[in-house]
Amino acid sequence: MRNALAFIAAFTLLAVAPRAGVAQPLSFEGKTITIVCGFKAGGGYDRTARILARHLPKYLPGTPNVIVQNMPGANSITAANHVYNVAKPDGLTIGTFNRNLVLAQLTNVRGVKFDQTKFAWIGSAASESTVLAIRSDLPYKTFDDLKKSGKTLVIGATGPGANTYDFPLLLKELLGVDLKIVSGYSSSSDIMLAIERKEVDARAGSYTSLRPFIDRNLVHPVIRAKAIEAGIEQLPVDENLAPNARARAVMALRSAPEVVGRPYVMTPGTPDDIVKAMRDAFSKAIKDPELVAEAKKGKMELEFMPGDEALRIVKEVLAQPKEIVDDFRKYIKFGE
Amino acid sequence: MIDALLEGLLLVLQWKAFAFMLLGIALGFWVGLLPGLGGVTTLALMLPFIYAMSPVEGFAFLLGMHSVVATTGDITSVLFGIPGEGTTAATILDGHAMAKKGQAGRALGAALASSLVGALVGALALALAIPVVRPLVLAFGSPELFMIAIVGIAFIASLSAQGARGMLRGFLAGGLGLMVATIGQDPQAGVARYTFDSLYLWSGLDLVPVLIGIFAIPEIVDLIVRGGSIAGEMPGGRLNQGALEGVKDTFRHFWLTIRCSLIGTFIGIMPGLGGAVAQWLAYGHAVQSARTVEEREGFGKGDVRGVLGPGAANNSKEGGALIPTVAFGVPGSSSMAILLGGFFLLGLVPGPDMLTTHLAVTFSMVWTIVLSNVITVVACFLFLNHLARLTVVRGHFLVPVILVLVFIGSYTANNHYGDVVLMLFFGVVGYLMVAGGWPRAPFVLGLVLGKIVENNLYISVARYEFAWLTRPIVLVLLALAVAVILYPLIQARRSRSRSNAHA
Repeated sequence: MRNALAFIAAFTLLAVAPRAGVAQPLSFEGKTITIVCGFKAGGGYDRTARILARHLPKYLPGTPNVIVQNMPGANSITAANHVYNVAKPDGLTIGTFNRNLVLAQLTNVRGVKFDQTKFAWIGSAASESTVLAIRSDLPYKTFDDLKKSGKTLVIGATGPGANTYDFPLLLKELLGVDLKIVSGYSSSSDIMLAIERKEVDARAGSYTSLRPFIDRNLVHPVIRAKAIEAGIEQLPVDENLAPNARARAVMALRSAPEVVGRPYVMTPGTPDDIVKAMRDAFSKAIKDPELVAEAKKGKMELEFMPGDEALRIVKEVLAQPKEIVDDFRKYIKFGE
Repeated sequence: MIDALLEGLLLVLQWKAFAFMLLGIALGFWVGLLPGLGGVTTLALMLPFIYAMSPVEGFAFLLGMHSVVATTGDITSVLFGIPGEGTTAATILDGHAMAKKGQAGRALGAALASSLVGALVGALALALAIPVVRPLVLAFGSPELFMIAIVGIAFIASLSAQGARGMLRGFLAGGLGLMVATIGQDPQAGVARYTFDSLYLWSGLDLVPVLIGIFAIPEIVDLIVRGGSIAGEMPGGRLNQGALEGVKDTFRHFWLTIRCSLIGTFIGIMPGLGGAVAQWLAYGHAVQSARTVEEREGFGKGDVRGVLGPGAANNSKEGGALIPTVAFGVPGSSSMAILLGGFFLLGLVPGPDMLTTHLAVTFSMVWTIVLSNVITVVACFLFLNHLARLTVVRGHFLVPVILVLVFIGSYTANNHYGDVVLMLFFGVVGYLMVAGGWPRAPFVLGLVLGKIVENNLYISVARYEFAWLTRPIVLVLLALAVAVILYPLIQARRSRSRSNAHA
C-alpha cells in the first residue's frame, strides 16, 4: 500500500514537474482547492477553515473554488495522514488539523503516519492561548490568592489530551496548586453550565472560547500559557512560575503548539511556487477587511504566521531531549 | 410579555424573514428525508449564509430548516425502515411494521400529526419556561443527569419481550449496547478501549451508521428474500384513506402524544443528554400504555402508539433544547451548539439578555418552530398518499434505490469508508438479532445512553463522593426507575389475575 502510494506520489510529481519547468505562470483557473479539516463541521477549526475558504479565492491566481471537506476521526490524525500520504502534491489539497499533532508525533502515538517537518507549511491562521478561568463569585481575584487560599479548587474538564485537562494538570503536578480535576464533561459548554450551577469552580480553555463568559463576568482568567492574545497580556504565565528547569520545559512543551493554533499545510513535495502563492494568499486574505469584519462577528481572532516560522516551532518541539520527552509523557496523553 | 409574544410573531411574518423561513423549510425537508445527511451538518454548512441577515431572518432560516428535519426524517423511517435522521430511528419499530402491513399512509399520518403536536408542545414549553428556566436547568447537575440515564435504561424492561426469557434477552442486549458505547478513548485516563490499534475506532462509533445497519439491512434482506413489495400482497385500495386515519389516531391517543411530547421537551432542556435519547424514552413510555398482554405484544409489530410517541418526542425536544441555549449560552444538543455560533454571527449574546432586552427575538424563535412545522405537515399531507404508494412498488425496483441511500447515508456522516464497513457489520448483527428473536431497541438504548451514564457517574463520584446519592431529585428519579422496571411485572400479574377471574 505504502509503495503504491509512493509510486502515485512520484508519478504525479513527474506529471506536475514539466509544467513547472516551462515556467508557465501559476494559475488555478477552473480548479477546486479542497481544505481537508480534521474535525466535524461547526467547531473552531472548521469555522476558521470556512471563513478562509470564502476569502482565499480573491487572492489566488485564477480565482479557483475553495471548499472545505470535513474528515474527522482519531482527533484529526486521519486527516493529517490523508494529506501526507494520499493527496497529490499539486496544491489542490490543503490540510488543517489539531495543533497538538506535533506532540502526537513527539510521543510516538500509534497510527501517526506523517512527519510534521516534511509537510509543505502554509502557516498558521491564529494563535490560541489557554487560560484558567475561575468563578467570579469566589473570593480569589488572582492566581496568588488562589495558591495562598489553602482550599482545593474543583476543575471541570473534558478529558486527557484536551487543554481543559492538560493545562490544570501541569499546574497541579508541577506548580503544586491544590486542584481537583473532574473530567468527563462532554464538551466545554457543559463545563460552563457546571460552573453556573457551582458543581465546579473553574475551567481551563482557549481564551477565545471563554471570552463570552468572561465578558458577562461569570468567570475571570487568573493564569495563562505562553501564547499571547490581546486582553490577557498582564496575566502570569505558567512556565515563568516553574520551580525548576525541568518543570519549565514540560510546560513550555505543552504550550508550544498553541502559537501555531490553526495549522495549514500541503502535501510534502508541493512545488515551491505553489507554496509561495498560497502563503501570499493566506497572509492577504487574513488581512482582508471583509474577513476581519466577519471574524469579529464570529468572535474569532485570526492572525497569520508564515509557514517557515511555523515549521521552525514544529522542529523545535520535535528536537526536545529524550529525558524531557519522557517526563512530558508522564503527564500528557494525546487524545480527544 | 404578551407584547413581546405578538412582536415576535410580527417579526417572523415580515416578508423577508418569512421567505427565508420557507427557504429553510425547503432545505430541511430534503435533509430530513435523506438518511445520513443530518440536521447538524447542514446547520453548520448554512451558517455562513446568515452574515448578511438580521437576527430574526437568520433564525427564521436556521430554525425553519432545523425544526422540520425530524418531521420528514420520520417519513424515511416509516417507509423504508432506514432512519432518516439519528433522531428518528425509534419510529421504525412500529412505523415500518405498519408499512409492511399495508398501513403506510396511516403510519405517516400519525407520525406527521404527532410531530406537529410535539412541535407545538415544545414551543409552548419554551414560551412558558422563559421565566423559570434558570433555576430549572441549574437544579439538574451531573448526579441528576446520571439518574435520568438510569431511568432510561430501566425502560429496557418495557422494550423487551415478556416473561423471564424475554427480560433476560432485553437486558443482555442493553448491556451489549452499553459495552459498545465504551469503544474509543475514555475521558478519564485517556485509555483506548476496544480499539484494536485502529485509528478509526479511536473516537468511538458514530451512531448513524450503526442505526442504519441495525435497522435497514435486516429490512432489505427481508424484502429481497420475501419478494413482492414492502407492503407484501396487501390490498392497495386502503392506502388512500390511510393518512386521515393516522391523524385520528393522534387524537384517539391524545394524552399519550402529549405525555411523550413533554418527555421530549424535558430531555431537550437537559444539556448533555442529546437528541437520540428522547425518542427511545418516549417509545418506552408508549409501550407502557398497553393495557393487556396481547396489546403489549402488538408493539414492534405495528401499533400506532409506537409511532406517535417517538414522532412527538423528536420534535418537541427542539423547543426544549433551545431553552438552555438561549438562557445560558449553553447548547442543549449538538445542533444547538452550531446555532450558538449563529447567535454570535448575528451579534446577539445568548444569556440572561435574551430573556429581557431581546425577548421579542426569543419569541420569534418560538413562532418559527410553530409556523415551520405547520407548513411542513400541511405540505406533506398533500402528497402523503402518493408517498405511501411506494410501499406497493415491487422490491426489485426499490431495493437498489434503498441500498444507494443506505450506503450514501452511512458514508456522508464522516466521509469515511470505515463507516460503510461499520454499517454492514451492524447490518449482520441486526439481522442475527431479528432472526434469533432478540430485541434491537434495548441495544440501541444502551448504546445511546452509555457515555452519558459513564461520564456522569464518574463526575458525580469524583465531585461529591457518595453524598450525591442523598440529593432529593436523585432519590425521586431512583424511585421512578424502580417503578419503570416493576411496571411491566405488575401489569402482567394484574392481567393474569383478570384472565383467571374470567376463567
